[in-house]
Amino acid sequence: MNRGILSSRLLTFLFWIAMSALTLLPVWWMFLVSVRTRADLFGKPSFLLDLSAMTWENYAAVLSNPTFQKYMTNSLIVATSNAVLVSMLALLAAYAMSRFALAGKDNLFFWVLTNRMAPPAVFLLPLFLMFTGFRIGDWSLFDTRIGLILLYCVFNLPFAFWLLQGIVDAIPRELDEAAYVDGASTFTVLMTVIFPLARPGLAVTGILTWVFAWNEYLFASTLTSVDARTITTGLAEFVTVTGTNWGELAAVAMLTLAPAALVLALVQRHIVAGLTFGAVKG
Amino acid sequence: MRNTTTGWLLIAPTLFILFITGMVPFLYVLAVGFLDWNTFAANPEPRFAGVDNFRRLVFDAAFLKSLWLTFKFTLFVLASQLIIGFFLAKMLMRNVPLKGLFRTVHTLPLMIAPIAVGATWRLMTVPGLGPIPHWMQQWFDISYVLSRFPDQAFATVVIMDIWHWTPLVTLTLMAGLSNLPEEPLEQARIDGAGEWRIFWDITLPFLKPVLLTTIFIRLMDALRTVDEVWMLTGGGPGAETRFIGLHIWRVVFPKTDYGYGAAMSLITLYLTIVMCWLLYVAMTGMKEKSR
Amino acid sequence: MPKLLLATSAIAVALSAPAYADFWSDAGANLQGVTIRGVSESTPPSNYVRDVLAPQFTEATGIEVEFETTSWDQMFDKAIKDMEAGSGIYDFVYIEQDIIYSYLARDFLVNISDALEANPSLQAPDFSIEDFTTFIDNFRGADGDIFGVPMEAFIKVYLYRKDLFEDPAHQEAFKAKYGYDLAPATTFDQWRDNAEYFANLDPNDELWGTTVQAASGHPAAFYEFFESIAPTYGVYDWGIDMAKGAATVEKGGRMNSPEAKEALAFWVGLLDFAPPEATASTWDEVASTFAAGRAAQGWVYGENAAWVATNPEKSTVVGKVGVALPPMNPGVMEEAEAGEGYIGYYDGGAFGIPHSSKNKEAALLWLQFIGQPSVQADWAVAGSRVVHQATFDDPKVKEVDAMADGYFTMMKEQGHLFKGAPEFPFHAQVREAVAPFIYEAIVGTMTPEEALDQAAAAAEAEMANLGYGGN
Repeated sequence: MNRGILSSRLLTFLFWIAMSALTLLPVWWMFLVSVRTRADLFGKPSFLLDLSAMTWENYAAVLSNPTFQKYMTNSLIVATSNAVLVSMLALLAAYAMSRFALAGKDNLFFWVLTNRMAPPAVFLLPLFLMFTGFRIGDWSLFDTRIGLILLYCVFNLPFAFWLLQGIVDAIPRELDEAAYVDGASTFTVLMTVIFPLARPGLAVTGILTWVFAWNEYLFASTLTSVDARTITTGLAEFVTVTGTNWGELAAVAMLTLAPAALVLALVQRHIVAGLTFGAVKG
Repeated sequence: MRNTTTGWLLIAPTLFILFITGMVPFLYVLAVGFLDWNTFAANPEPRFAGVDNFRRLVFDAAFLKSLWLTFKFTLFVLASQLIIGFFLAKMLMRNVPLKGLFRTVHTLPLMIAPIAVGATWRLMTVPGLGPIPHWMQQWFDISYVLSRFPDQAFATVVIMDIWHWTPLVTLTLMAGLSNLPEEPLEQARIDGAGEWRIFWDITLPFLKPVLLTTIFIRLMDALRTVDEVWMLTGGGPGAETRFIGLHIWRVVFPKTDYGYGAAMSLITLYLTIVMCWLLYVAMTGMKEKSR
Repeated sequence: MPKLLLATSAIAVALSAPAYADFWSDAGANLQGVTIRGVSESTPPSNYVRDVLAPQFTEATGIEVEFETTSWDQMFDKAIKDMEAGSGIYDFVYIEQDIIYSYLARDFLVNISDALEANPSLQAPDFSIEDFTTFIDNFRGADGDIFGVPMEAFIKVYLYRKDLFEDPAHQEAFKAKYGYDLAPATTFDQWRDNAEYFANLDPNDELWGTTVQAASGHPAAFYEFFESIAPTYGVYDWGIDMAKGAATVEKGGRMNSPEAKEALAFWVGLLDFAPPEATASTWDEVASTFAAGRAAQGWVYGENAAWVATNPEKSTVVGKVGVALPPMNPGVMEEAEAGEGYIGYYDGGAFGIPHSSKNKEAALLWLQFIGQPSVQADWAVAGSRVVHQATFDDPKVKEVDAMADGYFTMMKEQGHLFKGAPEFPFHAQVREAVAPFIYEAIVGTMTPEEALDQAAAAAEAEMANLGYGGN
């Protein structure tokens, strides 16, 4: 019996080693391409890292490219602003939903959620027409970071709303009632009671919405042109421009996926809940 | 209960933004769907066209093909991911050293930007550079060229999606499995039921709500897959991996066929909603039964 | 491009500029600190503009130039969206010869002739429409006014590997196998035989018989077929008769004529002898393939001819490149000489100013700057593009001409046999309707006959939809 368990544990362990290798293989390959010179790319594929022939040239070329720097900055600004905006608005909305008797609450909640589910391709045309058609003087939303920050609310706000709803619900009502009795305003209650207690939840919300905004491609590619292009569109642009400059392409792709990979450990418990809208808790 | 006006004020910004970014585009696309509007036509002005666009769509071979491909793709990835995901969930629930690490590694693809997933797989499959063409040639004597052979392209897109999204299924099923009540399982074992019997009669019914949710989420995501396929195959070879999202993009932008593209968007939206609604009904029905 | 070349050309321009330095700094005096922004495809000529001409212009005038070079798809997408939306992002855009008719139909562009007339103070003394080759006529509106200043023009030629074709061992082996002498192709059968011969030399070598620009999902495939292959089979203007709105033979078009079908069958058949990247190749990859020594012959866009033939940093076939006219059916040359047909693609583009530009004056100066005679020769050397008649006779250009097996001479003397895209205002729309069938033929899910029959029907339907042509 003992031996059986042991050998099955060993097998399972080996199985997971193999599975992890399989999962990491494509990413590892991309990393290898990104640190190899062009001459080393072709021929028999090798999965070993040759430290002596390793080069950071591709990264240097990409990072010193002003266009790429701009895309990177845009991505940072858009993702961060959107995450902050969405978390704040959603906290207010979640509080309203949790503590006030709003008419048609359930339908409203459902409607908010549906916004996340719609296929984005369907809305490309109207969004493009809206972004270019709505103008104040010479200014239109097309190719602005503001435009993207607002638009990304369409998928991030429902998510944040849902996530924070659960968190606010879990904060005992007695705490804010007590504050109200002491004469605090709604704003004070939000700031002194709800916000501190919801902080861990807010952090998760912020990180996940940040990643979703960072990863977005389709809207960014249609609704921006030069000034507000993000790194994901840069990646797509890159592949078609350079044709065969695979090393730099791989470097851009590595930089695109790096932030998400870095926060993975922080939020991995919440990813499932995040992606399934909480229908399943991970 | 406090003054509801305050409540409405708090939720108003959220509702307002979602109205602008979600509802208005929907109404807009609804309106444009009934127009004859191509900005590069002899007459570039929009004109009311009634249901002409929709009538044309029913006979549009390219559109129908794209829909069919999308469904085929969805079916393939869903089936594979459920089977593989279930198996992996079982494996991950065993007591194994470094379990947390394995779980984290397995979760990694979920967080990667889809466009970067496409780039990753492109690097794996480029002839002359990628290892996959090399191995296919070396081991199976198969000439593997994504831009040439439709079946290879389709299969690769499916495999890429499996790589990308199976972890989600694994994790949801794990959540479901860990909530399985011990008692009926033990009882069944005492009664001498086989593994398959236990799976069909106990595990599966308990897992049903989680399973359906998972299917629901994956279905919606699969139906709207664009980024990674765009990056890997560009919809090619020919239009063999041009799923509906990509197809709409091509009609709306390079072709500037606004009215027709809007009608196409509406049909797509409608089909998505119908499918999701059917599943939703199934799900709620299921939940009620299990109560 | 070699840095040395850049440096020398910069010096050359600096030396030749002083005569008019006054004009540029005077004209730029009121526009100091203005930034103009443009977009173009990342090609050798455009990259030269970005790296050399834009900094020179900034130095001369004080006007900054932000010049984005990106892929053809992106360039087109960005430029057209900007002009459609009137967002004013770009002050100058690349107008390819084939899309000018669509742009003019939509009234996207500023009339440059009028603008110069209205602003005499902005008229550079050195800029003259008369200097240009006839290519500039592509950019004239109905009354002859100019809407774009040509920045590149080239022909799509037949390139072959001289070293391979002149190798006695190959000559002998080829003759033994096919019964006639190995030579650059002058007929389609010969092209096929050459391709087959070089593709099958050794299964492990990295040499194939021909390039094919057959990206099976990219318009590049459509373009190679309709602009380079079909005309040599005598099918012109995509086989479309615009006046009749016809593409099918039944209605008077020729898109699915026997000649067109034969042409497509020939072209798709070449894939058997082409490197694996052929079905993913646009014009860029075709040039890279040839430059990497992976193909013995092929149709290559002339903008790449110079670097493929002369730049050892990027090309492994320097000094081994032969240039010739593409093979064609009997009678096609006569039709081309008579001006009734053409034997291949004369492509190029101009810079134009969108109406939505917010810096039209600065852009106007810039367009004249790149149209000056003094910048042309070095630019031609870097990007094998010629838009001024005088450029052909420049010593530097002649030097490259010798290394590139007479590419410039061919362009000068036989350029008139080539032609740009037909004057269709529905260019992109019909292309999008037809291209999928070409992809199907490449992939083999349709025979060439089926593909062209359906393509012709689709083209007609699209024209009718758009309200062009007969019915």
